[in-house]
Amino acid sequence: MQREQIANGVYLNSLPAEKFNRCRLSIHFRFPASRELATDHALMPLVLERGYAGCPDMTELSRRLARLYGAALTVSTGMQGANRVLSISISGIKDRYALESEALSAAYAEILLGVALDPYFENGLFSEEAVRIEKMTLTRQLESEINDKRLYCVRQARRRFYGDSPAGIERDGYLADLPKVTCETLTNAYQKMLREATIEVMVLGADEAAVKSALVEKLAGIDRQPVCLPENTFMPAQPTAAFEEKMELVQAKLCMMFTLDRIAEPQELNAFRLAMAVFGGCSTSRLFVNVREKQSLCYYCGSRFTSASACMMVDSGVEPANANKAEQAILKELDQLVNGEISDEELENARRGILSGMESVGDSLSSLENWYFGEIMRGTEICTPEESAKQLREVTKEDVRRILGSFRYSLSYLVTAKEDAE
Amino acid sequence: MNMNSLEAVRQAGACDTVVLDCGLTVKVKSMPDYSGVFAIYGTRFGSVDLDFELDGKKIHLPAGVAHFLEHKMFESEEGDAFEKFAKTGASANAYTSFDKTCYLFAATQQVEESLDILLSMVGKPYFTEATIEKEQGIIGQEIKMYDDSPDWRILTALLGCMYHNHPVRYDVAGTVESIAKITPEMLYDCCKAFYNPGNMVLAVAGNITTQQVLDACERANLPKTSVKAKRLPINEPENIACSRKEFAMSLAKPCLGVGFKEVPVEGVKPEIICDLITELICGGMTPLYRELYDKSLVNPGFDGEFLVLDGCTCFMFTGETDQPDLVREMLLKEIERQRQEGVDEELFTLCKNQMYGELLQDLENIEDAATALAGSFYRRRSLADELEALASLTKEEVDAMLQKMLKPERSATVVIWPEEEEANK
Repeated sequence: MQREQIANGVYLNSLPAEKFNRCRLSIHFRFPASRELATDHALMPLVLERGYAGCPDMTELSRRLARLYGAALTVSTGMQGANRVLSISISGIKDRYALESEALSAAYAEILLGVALDPYFENGLFSEEAVRIEKMTLTRQLESEINDKRLYCVRQARRRFYGDSPAGIERDGYLADLPKVTCETLTNAYQKMLREATIEVMVLGADEAAVKSALVEKLAGIDRQPVCLPENTFMPAQPTAAFEEKMELVQAKLCMMFTLDRIAEPQELNAFRLAMAVFGGCSTSRLFVNVREKQSLCYYCGSRFTSASACMMVDSGVEPANANKAEQAILKELDQLVNGEISDEELENARRGILSGMESVGDSLSSLENWYFGEIMRGTEICTPEESAKQLREVTKEDVRRILGSFRYSLSYLVTAKEDAE
Repeated sequence: MNMNSLEAVRQAGACDTVVLDCGLTVKVKSMPDYSGVFAIYGTRFGSVDLDFELDGKKIHLPAGVAHFLEHKMFESEEGDAFEKFAKTGASANAYTSFDKTCYLFAATQQVEESLDILLSMVGKPYFTEATIEKEQGIIGQEIKMYDDSPDWRILTALLGCMYHNHPVRYDVAGTVESIAKITPEMLYDCCKAFYNPGNMVLAVAGNITTQQVLDACERANLPKTSVKAKRLPINEPENIACSRKEFAMSLAKPCLGVGFKEVPVEGVKPEIICDLITELICGGMTPLYRELYDKSLVNPGFDGEFLVLDGCTCFMFTGETDQPDLVREMLLKEIERQRQEGVDEELFTLCKNQMYGELLQDLENIEDAATALAGSFYRRRSLADELEALASLTKEEVDAMLQKMLKPERSATVVIWPEEEEANK
């Protein structure tokens, strides 16, 4: 990957992607998450995706993308520890496939930069109509959280786990704050982001020189004052707390949160990857083989680790009557990995699975971008998949045991059936 | 039109197809610039295959057998296929739909060993009462998981309303009760009927040659069987079984589903038209979508889809809305308007453009390419057939089809109410 700083806190990253039929361009804004502005930040992608100064109308923008052979535009936001990321991406077929010899990649760049840096304003503010409609959309989205019981359970567990910590700021904002969001507050939040965010531009399989010159021109009018991004964080260990919520459902959802009780060091990353794969991250993991397959205690049961906030989550779908048994079985598997035997076979099976994933990073545009943007966000030296694979091969059984033994069980959140539904 | 572009697309879609003596169709797309290989071993046996004749014997299956069998195929007397794949570093999976079952893996190393495992998976079925009982527990959990999904429940309910007898009305996984009736004999019968090479495809894309794939097939020593299961005809009336169904779940907002039962269509062009129609009626570029969105009558996920199987063609429009009956009315009105006035010419061209891009996108990575290869076997057509049909499609053909489709008298409505609203009704 070629990485170049082209303005204060603005980086252009380009990756060759010759073999693909499509190209992909993205702009990622990274900035400290703010509780106060969380709902403005959550609304921003919805308003930006409707159109930009060069194409203000939402339906016309959809038609424009269709004219470019169904180019895909996405605007989204996510949390990365105590940081928020707002991402705008466009992907579409390469110029060589255009039926009328259209300059497709130039059009993709124009739309991307327009949406990110030149939004549609009326009298210097986001349009009142767009803000009003998208506030209704976000309201519906927030109110509908309960429709997906698995996600709902995970979010409830996260809320209890993070409390008021910046890492727990809601990605989708807060229903109670929505009435306070106006065209003015949203425009201010956007201008602040333009000024203060670190901006990462990713160019995969398109003309980076053209993107660079257009970008430099757009940035010229912005008074850039990038702020420092918060470091990785962790939640302190606490006595295990158990939460339970009852509703009409058939399968109960159990989410367990563990803290590392310290910051996850970047050099440990591959040890965490292997530890997760052995415990609950693949089809030969202890949770899959023993808890799901052998004991039939849950339909899904997996573990994952978030390095930015040093937290491990195990989520599972269980029979309401078996929830306690499933929780104990999950804890037992963790204990046995820490204090019992880890076979060479299970360790190597898990390692092979991760290595295979690393070797195939270059086989899709999205996995290439995810890999390198992930490396950029880590803030350390950027590793290629090959370099990471080398480190992974050196992780030992003892490393896995030590990592898994460091987790402290913080809380469980169970969404289960009302008594009469059991 | 730029002929070089069309040639570039044809090259992107090129693949080798070989039908072996044993009857297996092998499709390979060699992608030497890629690191990985994606392989799919699939059979034309899905959840709708409940009644067939085998060796002169009529067999009726309870709902969910194809999916159950998919789970069981990972087991053999020599052990679990997941464990075998783990030794090669391959990531394996399987899925069952209405009309097919597919076993697949993605790998970067020891690809030949992974192909050997894949090709041996369905050859030595091994079922006992005890292993079946264990699987009933796991699949029971899976069924319950879907029971809590409003998106899934609304599609299943719509199909149940539209169809009297066609097995598409049953959930792919069946029910806890139906899978309790499964016996080892049933599973062996299904293997004999549908898991023979003549009914199967091996689709492989990635860093591999056709010869490597053919060598793997030879090593697998696949049996040449003359068994042919005869699917028994389904007696399905043209009208719908039930025009409206309502029920309650733990939800924040009501969910609406509107289904249209059609006279079954066949062939590449009618399927492309069905695909276009959903976009032309309520896709993101349409006036209806815009009105629904601007008035906040639906969530952004409101959309239409279509289903074409043997003996079944239908459309389903679904989404969240506070006013299900108003949205249904607006949908019917828009369909009627387009039937009267014809579809929008510009929108028609844009949808065709979009579909061309999607066809190309499906050839880009190894997973999509292998899936497209397998799809061409199931749908009995190639990418070139699709491109040709798309290029020659006219607005008039869509208008003509719209005269016969999406009729209110063959529509069914399903509403899922939030529990509280249901209680207050």
